[in-house]
Amino acid sequence: MANTADVDALDFEPDDDDLMDEDAAVDVDASSPSAATHIPKLKSAITGGSAAAGASSGPKKTKGRGFREETDAGRNSRMSGRFDSLDSDGGPGPERSIEGWIILVTGVHEEAQEDDLQNAFGEFGEIKNLHLNLDRRTGFVKGYALIEYENYEEAEKAIATMDGGELLTQTVNVDWAFSRGPFKRRNNRRRSPHGHRSRSPRRRF
Amino acid sequence: MAEEENGAAAAAGEFYLRYYVGHKGKFGHEFLEFEFRPDGKLRYANNSNYKNDTMIRKEVFLTPSVLKECRRIVSDSEIMKEDDNNWPEPDRVGRQELEIVMGNEHISFTTSKIGSLMDVQTSKDPEGLRIFYYLVQDLKCFVFSLISLHFKIKPI
Repeated sequence: MANTADVDALDFEPDDDDLMDEDAAVDVDASSPSAATHIPKLKSAITGGSAAAGASSGPKKTKGRGFREETDAGRNSRMSGRFDSLDSDGGPGPERSIEGWIILVTGVHEEAQEDDLQNAFGEFGEIKNLHLNLDRRTGFVKGYALIEYENYEEAEKAIATMDGGELLTQTVNVDWAFSRGPFKRRNNRRRSPHGHRSRSPRRRF
Repeated sequence: MAEEENGAAAAAGEFYLRYYVGHKGKFGHEFLEFEFRPDGKLRYANNSNYKNDTMIRKEVFLTPSVLKECRRIVSDSEIMKEDDNNWPEPDRVGRQELEIVMGNEHISFTTSKIGSLMDVQTSKDPEGLRIFYYLVQDLKCFVFSLISLHFKIKPI
């Protein structure tokens, strides 16, 4: 079991690089004989201080060229700055979308049709929007559906009634799609009793 | 049962995902990027300078259920077993990046734009690249649905 999630302190320094030396030697321009030993450290934009690194715990097995490339200076600016969001107080609970309330249905049978969802979920209120996305490779239903109701009560009723219920022989789970704030980590069974000791400082944007 | 397995994989450890596709050309730096953060925040940025200079940036918090479904899609794809070593390198035509932290693994793959399955077929790692190709499409599809339902914008 790969239960190293509780190992402390993320460290992307040398030992992680071992993994990559071999590959990097191939990619890095051989102009310098020591190219392989001068692989850029992972503190680049890709991991350094990123949300990925900040929220993780324990050394990770890394893989990919992205770790061996020059820092992409543009990346920080791309994902920084102002992002629009709907007004939200950041509190707990579901967030209203611009025209209604969106719920997520998971465990949807791969051969489900829109009608099946209409029938099952239409009884809680008029479905304003239904996205039943397909697996791009197989063409079958990917396994989830997003449904929009106009009113909170309709969505709430759908969740209360259908979550854990059955649809086309499969158990489906139904929940709100959007939340008013970040989620708390209360139901993390696997957490160590120390909880989050080494959370990095929050990103600065 | 597969469902069970996915559930377990989905519940364990951290999750972070970022996808970027873009290029720099006549219309400046045009790109699409989205990010699922461990606290549930979904960020979406789309910059197209073609015709109008609009940069769309949206963010919204997702419930754990949505993040879990995203993990399920990723773990079903088995992308974490792949390696970008033999994928076409990013070039002037464009660049894609896929970074995922899941449990104890962290991948950061880069490759060129993939025009069609033909590019996949003729690459040095068609199996791996195909997995990437379809996963990216499935993820985009998921994100576009979320963004367009929440904000009522056409994401592309």
